[in-house]
Amino acid sequence: MPLKPPLLADRFLKFFCAPHLLEEVQGDLHEEFEYQVKHVGVRRARWRYWLDVLGFFQPRYIKRKPSQYPQTYLFSLNMLRNYFKIALRSLQRNKVYTSINLLGLSLGMTCGLLIFLLVKYHLSFDNFHAHSDRIYRIVTEQHRDNISYVSAVPSPLGKVFRNDYTFAEKVGRICTFEDMLISIKAEKGLNKFKEPQGVAFTEPEYFAIFNFPLSVGSFQNALNEPNTGIITERIARKYFGNTNPINQIFRLDNKLDIRVTGVLKDLPTNSDQKAEIFVSYPTLKSYNDWLGSDDAWGGIQSSMKCFVRLRPGVSPSEVEKVFPAYVKRYRPTSKNVHHYKLQPLNDVHFNAQYGGAMNKQTLWILSLIGLFLIITACVNFINLATAQALNRSKEVGVRKVLGSLRGQLFWQFIAQTGLIAAIAGGIALGLAALALPYVNQWFATEISLNLLTDWRLVAFIPALILIVTFFAGSYPGLILAGFQPILALKGKLSQQNIGGFNTRRALIVVQFSISQVLIIGMIVIARQIYYAQKADLGFNKDAIMLLPIASTPQQAKTVKAQLQSLAGVEQVSLCYSAPASNGHWQTAPHYDNHSEEESFRVSVRAADNDYLATFDLQLAAGRNIYPSDTVKEFLVNETFAKKLNVASPSDLLGKNLRVNGNMTGPIVGVVKDFHDHSFHEDINAVCIPSASDFYNNYAVKISTANVPATMAAVEKTWSKMHPDQLYEYTFLDEHIASFYETEALMLKLIQLFSLIAVFIGCLGLYGLISFMAAQKTKEIGIRKVLGSSLAQILWIFGKEFARLIVVAFLVAAPIAWWFMNQWLQDFKFHITIQPWIFFVTIAITLLVATLTVIYEATKAALVNPVKSLKSE
Amino acid sequence: MKRTYLGEFEEIVLLAVAVLNGQAYGVLLMHEIIEQTDRSVRLNQVHSALQRLEEKGMVRSEMGEPTNERGGRRKRLFSVTAFGQRTLQEIQEVRASFWERMANPLKLTMPI
Repeated sequence: MPLKPPLLADRFLKFFCAPHLLEEVQGDLHEEFEYQVKHVGVRRARWRYWLDVLGFFQPRYIKRKPSQYPQTYLFSLNMLRNYFKIALRSLQRNKVYTSINLLGLSLGMTCGLLIFLLVKYHLSFDNFHAHSDRIYRIVTEQHRDNISYVSAVPSPLGKVFRNDYTFAEKVGRICTFEDMLISIKAEKGLNKFKEPQGVAFTEPEYFAIFNFPLSVGSFQNALNEPNTGIITERIARKYFGNTNPINQIFRLDNKLDIRVTGVLKDLPTNSDQKAEIFVSYPTLKSYNDWLGSDDAWGGIQSSMKCFVRLRPGVSPSEVEKVFPAYVKRYRPTSKNVHHYKLQPLNDVHFNAQYGGAMNKQTLWILSLIGLFLIITACVNFINLATAQALNRSKEVGVRKVLGSLRGQLFWQFIAQTGLIAAIAGGIALGLAALALPYVNQWFATEISLNLLTDWRLVAFIPALILIVTFFAGSYPGLILAGFQPILALKGKLSQQNIGGFNTRRALIVVQFSISQVLIIGMIVIARQIYYAQKADLGFNKDAIMLLPIASTPQQAKTVKAQLQSLAGVEQVSLCYSAPASNGHWQTAPHYDNHSEEESFRVSVRAADNDYLATFDLQLAAGRNIYPSDTVKEFLVNETFAKKLNVASPSDLLGKNLRVNGNMTGPIVGVVKDFHDHSFHEDINAVCIPSASDFYNNYAVKISTANVPATMAAVEKTWSKMHPDQLYEYTFLDEHIASFYETEALMLKLIQLFSLIAVFIGCLGLYGLISFMAAQKTKEIGIRKVLGSSLAQILWIFGKEFARLIVVAFLVAAPIAWWFMNQWLQDFKFHITIQPWIFFVTIAITLLVATLTVIYEATKAALVNPVKSLKSE
Repeated sequence: MKRTYLGEFEEIVLLAVAVLNGQAYGVLLMHEIIEQTDRSVRLNQVHSALQRLEEKGMVRSEMGEPTNERGGRRKRLFSVTAFGQRTLQEIQEVRASFWERMANPLKLTMPI
């Protein structure tokens, strides 16, 4: 057997050598190889062979022989013009096909565009401050039986840190109170305002850290003196109209008169720093003596934030090392609970532990959904286009005979796809602009769609169109370009030749899997929200109004008496908060004169003796508390008993309890457990003392008859008693619904997305079925001649898509189950994912799919067999 | 005198083609040249020289019949054109005339 030269070298030669030279060159090389094998041995011969091959690797041998025919260029202007002309014509002719494609693509792209805007908006938060990579917020981890995270610090920490260390260039404290009444003297009476973003007591250093420029005044003398403040332009217009805001006076909580010394430019919307009224920090002392003092180390008020900008090169861990010393020095008696940490500014917006507004994971999921929607739209396009390809086989045949190359046909199809994608992109831009106000409302964002200033957006749209074009156009393009001209011209192409019927089936499966995952998600979220709102919370939440108490405890009692006397008011209770509330007044209890405090925390829901009756809370043991203004007796809940490991709730009765340092008294009753927070949290131990100093709300239970009249009467009474206050109320059930705002938003989104996904999926199915109908015209004719019934023929189609949907379901169900199970873990109290959810999903999908195909299928089945069979 | 310039290696290849008389092809030429001149010649050099000669019109080529050797691949067989023969002759004459005019031709071969 003759020895072979090295295969790889031969391959390489074949690859680079011009075809017209290959034969002689390779022949010579092989001959030489055989000669060398005889003379110098195999090893060296192989080695030489390599060298010889490489010797031919030069332009002379690589250059291909010019063809004797004129070259056809892939991109010639005339042909490009022709492609677009033909594309337009073919789009015009197939109007249904075109509109289905446009609809699908533009819907998918609209979602993609909106999600892009949303994600971009959230990622841009607070990225416009100088050296924002060195800006940190000092936050607190509280280590008890579990770790709780607070985005605030004791108020003096900022000051001592600034004085003791040189780590930071700037340290700025800001203390924001949300529910502040602002009143301004007008010609007649007072103008009253409340700003949801609150009023911030702010050190001037804060503005050295954050880039919020002043439009009037300067920071040199702003925010230094007590009782001065600066406001934004928006607030200035709102409060003072066109008059010069400088040196105007506004009044805070009917206590403090603040003089305006500067006006800030309106704040950018992409910042978590939302307050628009800034009052000088020294004023804090007269508003809240404890918080404004230098020794308020005892606790943390969540409104007290401290920001630092570190010097270059200082690492946060270095700084965190010096904080424990403060805990030792200033909180010697507490058990080393506080651990101060530095949170980078770019984490503030995303870290849910510290109250970040947007979870990064949510952004990822949104992006993923956007991507999936675009994919389904593209898949749809691929499906329809491949089905449609058969209609263009003659055109392709003619073009090929006239000398078109594969590449040209491919690019022709890409051009057509590009045309559709570009039109769809334009439509998507318009739709996005229309939908943006709703998106902003849902997400409480202020996104704008500005093509002139936003280069990322300007880059994104063409990129999206380009990607969609190639993703959607490549496969059908390749199929079209691959037609054999003879078959195509003879009209003998069938689906076997086109191929890819299975590919298209797989694509439909992908589409329906995505839709079904979304549908299952939608049902689970809806069920969970329904459960959270309708489940028995352990108290009555219907027809209860919550009004703020804005006066002294004595006056509050008078107001309560007046409210009680109104017709339609059933019960009134003065309380710290409703049984379920987001408030976190928690403290470690001292039980039964034990020397140590207990390891668990107890929620304090201070309230008067009408609390139980108003909210329909049930006693498990003992009796209600007697009327009192100060702490005399306690009610606790069953969880309290459980956490103490007491056998029966009644064992607690008569035992002494001390909470919050100085509230002490015997336990006189045990209330049945109720949900004191949202379903995200376990039921806490709760105690209910009467303590009129702490009451925030009138809880007014009204009868369900004649509600508007009752509400008007309540407002009148309240306003009469608080002439200098702003009337506000909430209904308890709305308040509880607000616990699940994120989930409700998610539900809205997933409803929308699954609707779109199902819609696009159905468009694809429609395309597939109409293709099938065209393919099977003859088959149906023959079947009918042989006596098939309408139902039997419909089943040909039904079988096809039912199978696809079932396969899609088998893919979707486990994925959806896993995702939604993860999601439900966020709730301590949640539904279980029951089998019926899956049945409903597949039933819905089958129903929608049937509706989609029934018309086209029936039409195909009803065709007179004479018509379909007579022509060949 | 105006004629196409011929490099020294090209001249040798052309001579070898002439010698082999219609049976010349790449490998054979290479071996021939190696044998006669004792220098190391590579196959690609021979091929380039042949291509250049063909471009200059001094050799012509045709594909031979396939044989059992070299995997059935055909050889490209070269032969010298009339123009090639004339060129070789001219070179020869030019050189001869120089040699004749040389005063003491043998001295050149002596070591100085």
